[in-house]
Amino acid sequence: MDESEILTDENIARVRDLLSALEKGDAAGASEVIDDLANIRESDIYQEMGRITRELHDAISAFGMDEQLSVLAQSEIPDARQRLRHVIDMTDQAANRTLNEVEESLPICEELEKRSGELHDNWKRFKQRDMDLNEFKQLAKSMDEFFNANTGDAGKLKASLTNVLMAQDFQDLTSQIIKKVITLVEEVEGNLVEIIKLTGGLEKVDGKEVAARKDKLAGPVVPGVNDNGSTVSGQDDVDDLLSSLGF
Amino acid sequence: MKILVVDDFSTMRRIIKNLLRDLGFNNTAEADDGTTALPILQAGGIDFLVTDWNMPGMQGIDLLKHVRADEKLKDLPVLMVTAEQKREQIVEAAQAGVNGYIVKPFTAQTLKEKLDKIFERIEG
Repeated sequence: MDESEILTDENIARVRDLLSALEKGDAAGASEVIDDLANIRESDIYQEMGRITRELHDAISAFGMDEQLSVLAQSEIPDARQRLRHVIDMTDQAANRTLNEVEESLPICEELEKRSGELHDNWKRFKQRDMDLNEFKQLAKSMDEFFNANTGDAGKLKASLTNVLMAQDFQDLTSQIIKKVITLVEEVEGNLVEIIKLTGGLEKVDGKEVAARKDKLAGPVVPGVNDNGSTVSGQDDVDDLLSSLGF
Repeated sequence: MKILVVDDFSTMRRIIKNLLRDLGFNNTAEADDGTTALPILQAGGIDFLVTDWNMPGMQGIDLLKHVRADEKLKDLPVLMVTAEQKREQIVEAAQAGVNGYIVKPFTAQTLKEKLDKIFERIEG
């Protein structure tokens, strides 16, 4: 109740009545005035409570009316989960496609390295004239085989590299999906902030450090996400920390 | 030299296995968390353990503690390869007796350096 509202002529009159009733020894009259005064205060409290309840109800129904929250909770968030799972699948497939090609290509490179080395050794011997005719014939044959094999192997490597190239198409698609989810997170954030404002809870956490959930592992460090200096910035930092521990 | 590679992501296991093969370690085995790794270790024949930290089931740090508490396995060299880079976690791994700690993403060169360093210390 606004305090200045107490300062009315009616109240002054009531108190005068009370005083004169008390002086006259009129107990019934005095009680009546006291009840009157108590009622004024109570009705103000009831009015105020009614006003707050109405405002809260209006505010909540304003949210409900555009169905924003229920749409978010019932369809958009489950959709976002599905989208993110799809991102995991796509990146997994891309990594596996790339690894398959690399694992097929590496033995080809190793074989190429080995054959080149052998051929080069024999070629050096030939240049130093350290080779008889039969050996030279063998060298000529090996060179033919080498060139033939190289043409085929180069084709295989080229095909593998093209497949590795194509496996990178996930980047474009996953970025688009993740951007959509970021937009949704922003929307949810906006709605949550509004609800918290309504219930007056925002200033309680504002400016205070929100305690990190200790039971969870931190996972990969993300640039721009505050870690309060509790993480190392890379392998060099890890090495420094371990050597300071006597490693 | 047989190396057990423990990571819940098969792609990461493949990357590590390929890098190890390039360094001349052709004999590797795989497990996807501590719970599946421990019986493989206890069966014997593993000379080196490379493990992730954050895995479902048994985590890498608990696998390391199990290894150090096991009379037969306690001297097994353990290299941790993980995305966890909180100082307190690195200290915890060191106190649990890890032999090397690599943070992801890492390079082939880093893996080689840490392996060399661990072998140097074992032989020295």
